[in-house]
Amino acid sequence: MARQQGWVALILALAIASAALLASYGLQLGLDLRGGSQLTLQVLPAGEIRSVQKEQLEAVKEVLERRINGLGVAESTLQTVGNDQLVLQLPGEQDPSRAARVLGSTALLEFRAQKPGTEKEMQGLLPLKRQAEAVLAARDPALNQDPTDAGGPRPTPQLPPEDLARSLRDLGVEVPAGSSESDQIGLLLQEVNRRLVGLYGPTQLTGKELTAAGRQQSATASTWDVTLSFNREGGEKFAALTQSIAGTGRVLGIVLDGRSISEATVGPEFKAAGITGGGASITGNFTAEEARELEVQLRGGSLPLPVKIIEVRTIGPSLGAENIRTSLLAALSGLALVALFMVITYRLAGMVAVVALSLYGLFNLAIYALIPVTLTLPGIAGFILSLGMAVDANVLIFERIKDELRSGNTLIRSIDTGFALAFSSILDGQLTTLISCAALFALGTGFVKGFAVTLGIGVLLSLFSALTCTRTLLRLLMSYPALRRPTYFLPGAELPATAS
Amino acid sequence: MATLASLLDLRVNRRRRLLWAISGIALLLSLFGMALSWRSPEIGLPLRPGLDFTGGTQIELSRRCDDSCPPLTVSALEAGVRSISLPAEAGESPPDLRGVSGQILDDGELVLLRLPTLSAAQGQALVDQIRPLVGEIEPGGLSVDTIGPTLGAQLLRSSLISLLVSFVGIALYITFRYDRIFALLALVCLGHDVLITCGVFAWLGLLAGVEVNSLFAVALLTIAGYSVNDTVVIFDRIREKRAELKEQSLAEQADAAVSATLTRSVYTSLTTLLPLIALILFGGSTLFWFAVALSTGILVGAWSSIAVAPTLLPVLSRR
Repeated sequence: MARQQGWVALILALAIASAALLASYGLQLGLDLRGGSQLTLQVLPAGEIRSVQKEQLEAVKEVLERRINGLGVAESTLQTVGNDQLVLQLPGEQDPSRAARVLGSTALLEFRAQKPGTEKEMQGLLPLKRQAEAVLAARDPALNQDPTDAGGPRPTPQLPPEDLARSLRDLGVEVPAGSSESDQIGLLLQEVNRRLVGLYGPTQLTGKELTAAGRQQSATASTWDVTLSFNREGGEKFAALTQSIAGTGRVLGIVLDGRSISEATVGPEFKAAGITGGGASITGNFTAEEARELEVQLRGGSLPLPVKIIEVRTIGPSLGAENIRTSLLAALSGLALVALFMVITYRLAGMVAVVALSLYGLFNLAIYALIPVTLTLPGIAGFILSLGMAVDANVLIFERIKDELRSGNTLIRSIDTGFALAFSSILDGQLTTLISCAALFALGTGFVKGFAVTLGIGVLLSLFSALTCTRTLLRLLMSYPALRRPTYFLPGAELPATAS
Repeated sequence: MATLASLLDLRVNRRRRLLWAISGIALLLSLFGMALSWRSPEIGLPLRPGLDFTGGTQIELSRRCDDSCPPLTVSALEAGVRSISLPAEAGESPPDLRGVSGQILDDGELVLLRLPTLSAAQGQALVDQIRPLVGEIEPGGLSVDTIGPTLGAQLLRSSLISLLVSFVGIALYITFRYDRIFALLALVCLGHDVLITCGVFAWLGLLAGVEVNSLFAVALLTIAGYSVNDTVVIFDRIREKRAELKEQSLAEQADAAVSATLTRSVYTSLTTLLPLIALILFGGSTLFWFAVALSTGILVGAWSSIAVAPTLLPVLSRR
């Protein structure tokens, strides 16, 4: 009896602690239950690097983490998976394309001076670029809805179809059949930007020498500029670079990921010392959003290796809520059926099992909150399944108790023997399941891992629940003589005459 | 009153030829279904692979309908999607939407589209352009999944490797606790259960177009674990009966063990099935086939632990 009291106190303490834990921490829900976006990124080997190593994966992750923080999405998580993958979760984010854009580009920023003797070609390309940009900008609803655009209706810039066709032909751009005019202008712009890069000299200054990036509204008020600050060394290089072209009419190209995003001329007044002070701004007709993304990319630094998005999963919050509702309904009604079955089949012992199983469920959820385990649909399935296994342990024990009663043993003896005899098969069954869980956890990926964790926790806890909670509660009840009746465990007709 | 065990006093070893025939036919049907599926030009694999394995984009949207949804047929939906043109990604040609397949579920409230791989921006563009066709979309009732085919191959590989490793681990454990023949038998049962579950889904794929996704892989892994769990309980009882009924034959000892654990086997399968049946009834479309796969595996697992393991044991031990 004294021993039972110790166990009862322990179980009660655990139950209170679990309830408190659940109340204060709550359960962490996966994206399939709360809605949001999940992106899986593959880090690709490039240049001299043939295969991605752990350190490179970590380096990529660090840069991406800075970029995500720049995006300002709350509660985002970024995890490495395997040797060359990263999984980014953005709870609540309904439009993963923004994250995809910012994460996907390498953001290698270069400043290059135009090569002498290329003035003529530049004069052909730059007006074309301005014109294409203006047309696209006028068609971009995001830019036109800019509330700061107070200029009233402006003349819509045009690129006559015959001019567009000629320019495309001159530049040798292949146009896929059926592409819209906007697509064609986009392709033209890409080619122009690519060709512009060819007119620049080698890189003298890169984004590595940046100390800060910001943005400001440009003088025309409808577009944004990105401002940059260099470290001391970068500032000196920038001064030298601007000095070399000041007053020549040649431009300073700002190249991002191999594409010319901005071209600046430097006036003759900088002939003596170049632009000093370590600051610069990129005027590229950016929308507010584009400027912000560029700022975030530049601040985060450049990716050491390119990444490719191989999976995007987005689920809306109301579909998530629907998933919670249905799986909860299934779990609760399944449990109610199991409870009913246990009480009908095993009577008093069945009631004890229901209490033990409820405790098991409580402890299980508390551990999910503690670790924390992110609850997903497969996770809930694992939980429901481990409940089935927890019931199995109770069934094994109670069947043994019945066997012992039928062969004429006393109730107390039968209970003790029942537990002892059932123990080895419970242990073997649970251990083999644990072995599979360990293999799944160690070698599986993604939610296979999550499933293994929930099932593994469930199996361990069910061992505790069946062998400790059920036993303690049964023994406690047996200390009340009124309850010590074999017929509370099985119908009297099955008992041998000597025992009744 | 007779107990369930004495009512069904199965001397499994006396009818073992019948039991083997049933399992054998089920196995042959399973292999046949997988072979048919493999030969089918439409599928080309033993099981019909879902998005997780083939790669592509799946868009699911809930329509907002106040009383009843405006009528929409699958062919109108597919034709509508085919007429959409999506922007091309840099350096690539625009996605080919001719291969779209659509489904309309839940009385027209849920629309499911299977498409070739789209970028996030293209997926958004498609949803914007399909709005006139499907009407209002429930706010937040949209899910877009894009999966590269490499990810499915990876999932399959890692599942198979972890399954093989757990086989080895389980075999070692059973060898250590029992002996080699028991370990072999547990693996035979496990293979039996997994194969028949796959066979059922091969037929479902052929006849009803049911696809297997990564949740199915999880279900198979679980069935493997459950199968061994179920078989080991019988082994434990056979070992006990061997000591108890020394002078009887191994077949009789095995029969006694099956009879003694029959109630437990039936009850346990039942209590594990109850939550799964609830999941099938109320779990929604996401979990429906997952619960069906698990239920199949648990039923087959209960059968193999009663009819296959204890009947093969005396035959294998003789050698």
